[in-house]
Amino acid sequence: MAAESPVPAIEKLKLLGKKMVDEIDKGESPTFETYLHSKGNIIFDENLGYLKLGDKREVRKFLNIAQSRTFMQTIAIANKTKSFVEQGLHTSIRGLYYQLKFSLGEDVDESLFEEQSESNALIEDLEVALGVKREDLNLTTDRKGVLAGPVVIRDRFAGEEILIDGRKQGRSGWMIPSDVDNGMEIVKTDAKYVLVVEKDALWQRLNEDRFWEKEKAILITPKGQSSRGTRRLLRKFADLGLPIYVFTDCDAWGWYIYWTMKTGSMNLAYLGRDFSIPEAKFIGVTMSDIKKYEFLEKLTIKAKEIDIKRAMEMMEYPWIKAHKQWVEELKLVVKTKKKLEQDALQGQRLTFVGEYIKEKIKNKEFLP
Amino acid sequence: MAEMAENFREYSITEFFKKNAQMLGFSGKIRSLTTIVHEYTTNSLDACEEAGILPDIKIKIEETGEERYSVRAEDNGPGIPSKLVGKALGQMLTGTKFHRYMQQRGQQGIGAAGCTMYALITTGKPIHVVSGHKGKIFECDLSVDLKTNEPVVTNSSEREGELRGLVVRGEFSNVKYDKGQYGAYEYLKRTALANPHAQIELTDPEGNVFLFPRSVEQVPQRPKEVLPHPLGIDAHDMLERAKASESTRISSFLQASFSRVSADKVKELQELVPDIDFKRNPNTLSWEEAEKIVKAFRRVKWVAPATDSVIPIGKEQIEKSLRNILNPEIVAVVERPPKVYKGGIPYIVEVGIAYGGNQKSSIMRFANRAPLVFDASACAITEVVKNIDWKRYGIKDFENEPVTVFVNFSSVYVPYISAGKQAITNDEETMVEIKNAVFEVARQVERHISGKIRERERETKKQTFVKYISQLSSDIAGLSGEKKELVEKKLAEIVEGKYGS
Repeated sequence: MAAESPVPAIEKLKLLGKKMVDEIDKGESPTFETYLHSKGNIIFDENLGYLKLGDKREVRKFLNIAQSRTFMQTIAIANKTKSFVEQGLHTSIRGLYYQLKFSLGEDVDESLFEEQSESNALIEDLEVALGVKREDLNLTTDRKGVLAGPVVIRDRFAGEEILIDGRKQGRSGWMIPSDVDNGMEIVKTDAKYVLVVEKDALWQRLNEDRFWEKEKAILITPKGQSSRGTRRLLRKFADLGLPIYVFTDCDAWGWYIYWTMKTGSMNLAYLGRDFSIPEAKFIGVTMSDIKKYEFLEKLTIKAKEIDIKRAMEMMEYPWIKAHKQWVEELKLVVKTKKKLEQDALQGQRLTFVGEYIKEKIKNKEFLP
Repeated sequence: MAEMAENFREYSITEFFKKNAQMLGFSGKIRSLTTIVHEYTTNSLDACEEAGILPDIKIKIEETGEERYSVRAEDNGPGIPSKLVGKALGQMLTGTKFHRYMQQRGQQGIGAAGCTMYALITTGKPIHVVSGHKGKIFECDLSVDLKTNEPVVTNSSEREGELRGLVVRGEFSNVKYDKGQYGAYEYLKRTALANPHAQIELTDPEGNVFLFPRSVEQVPQRPKEVLPHPLGIDAHDMLERAKASESTRISSFLQASFSRVSADKVKELQELVPDIDFKRNPNTLSWEEAEKIVKAFRRVKWVAPATDSVIPIGKEQIEKSLRNILNPEIVAVVERPPKVYKGGIPYIVEVGIAYGGNQKSSIMRFANRAPLVFDASACAITEVVKNIDWKRYGIKDFENEPVTVFVNFSSVYVPYISAGKQAITNDEETMVEIKNAVFEVARQVERHISGKIRERERETKKQTFVKYISQLSSDIAGLSGEKKELVEKKLAEIVEGKYGS
């Protein structure tokens, strides 16, 4: 599984090839072993606090008619990404797909890949089988998160090495790349915590207030659902011992963003610990805030059906059910049928957002 | 008195034909033409077999007008002596076969003469006959005098010549040639299937020539004429036999005309019907009395009839002809041991299934090698075959798969549903036997089909693996540093070893 591994991806790819050659020498079908990443093999580890794959393994065989084509395709991806790593070139999974979309032969009416959806699923298989991340295979993903704050990061890229200072990124901040592991390291930081703000608009507001400077905080917005790169970076900050506070809307989407960041998701359970931050804490906005800040009462908006439905579902998730405060919060949503956006905190005055956060952190008013 | 009888007879013969056209197979335009072809073909087959000759039959059908065709039938049989040509082909109800108790193809002795009459009724024309018999060639036109039921031979000539066989050519109206399942083509194809020793050629009205080649080089054994078993007879048959009997007493008639009837059994019977004096002449027997004796038969214990009077086509023969004519992928045939129904009538059921190739789903029914083309829905064979759950035997969609079920019912006395002789009665006893026979063959076919399917699957797997070997090998080579050619060669060997034929 995708636990951090001392063995570089390139070596794992070579080993995979050698193992198959050994099998062929013995007159056997080439195989590789992977973990099932179907629902039945996804478990929530209560002690660790994130979703991960269970122990159910599966041996994929070339000489199994049901697996033959996908086997060949997976190995093709393995070999292609090996060449990417060797050449030090990166591409997206779409780029990979185009590299592998070719006919299997002049007299064969079949392509190695027909649809990108085929290759996407097999990349996951390969990640799980080798215990590597796609980023380790020089496959890039979309960048989305933005950072500002007291941190210095070294970036070795395209034959150049630069130091990035999070305090000197101006109004736009530093765009978090898709891969923060390979050729990238955190040089130093004197931040006290990391604040994740769901919406870019609020991040810009706080950046303008130089919140990160006043609070010695790293200010990050995932701009909605967090990208792989953002989650990896948050994991690294958490590993450095920095508390991670998350600030989202009080609605289904906001909670979903928080919980995916914290425990991972069903879809990405195969990534396990590398992409989850069980230590993260939820700052708000919460329904209980309305009691505390009366002006918010008038700024609630009607919850949509999806919000109510989502809230009811979330109450049943074992990892949420375990937290009484969350259940209470969710019940309140179901009862009042209201929701509250983080933007509403600007209702009285624009700088209130920063004050709100400071106060919450000071008083340790978090949801788990 | 004699004149009246004559008049009566005159009336009866022509009227008999007209009224019973349906019964005799002359109903419907398509069926009439098929019946004509059937009568000539059957005559030829019988004549050849009796003479120990491998039949070579040529049928040519030409359209001569609207719903008007000429049919020419030629065989390589012994021919007919010139004196007998008229009687054999022009006189109704004189056939030697009418009262014979033996396994027959199913005509009533009305066959070829019926065609002569049909030609006369529909076109007014005589038929033309060429008969090569023992070095002489006799040629004539032949018609029937409807008043006297006497053949009328005209334009006759005889010459020396080496030709052997019989050529009959007649012209018929109110008939129609059809390419479908009721037509002459299908009829002859089926005849060829059930008579693998015969070679049959058809020239259709469009001039297409179809040859159904001979599959075996052996003339089948001739069925023996046997005495009927007491349990295999009805009052009508009994009376017919009594009238024709030359015995002077009923007691001796019973012993002479039926199998398994001993002097002791006659005594036993006499006790059961004390009011019939067995010393009387059998010619004096009344219908009621005949009925009483038949009923009494059923109250006496009999030794089962001998079954050697039934001659099947034979497993190998059917296999060969199914292969030869239908070109299927799979053939399975079962010849069941002889069985007896109603306690007195021996019969044999043979079933063959031909699967695959270029054929339509069909049920081919035969009685004593003669195809039963009409009245399919009323026939026990159809009922049995249609009620089988073919899915269990690897045939998922019976109606739409390339499968032929061939069923031949051989018996001295075939239980036809009607005088049309095109369907077998759905009697419980015989249906169970037919069903068991079909099951037996179906099981064999199932094994073949599943074997074929496995074979195909194996081949498909192999092709899939082979298709992917080259790409996979270059990637394994790329990952491992091994040479692609080496990996590919070894992988190909593994696939060939596991999935090669």
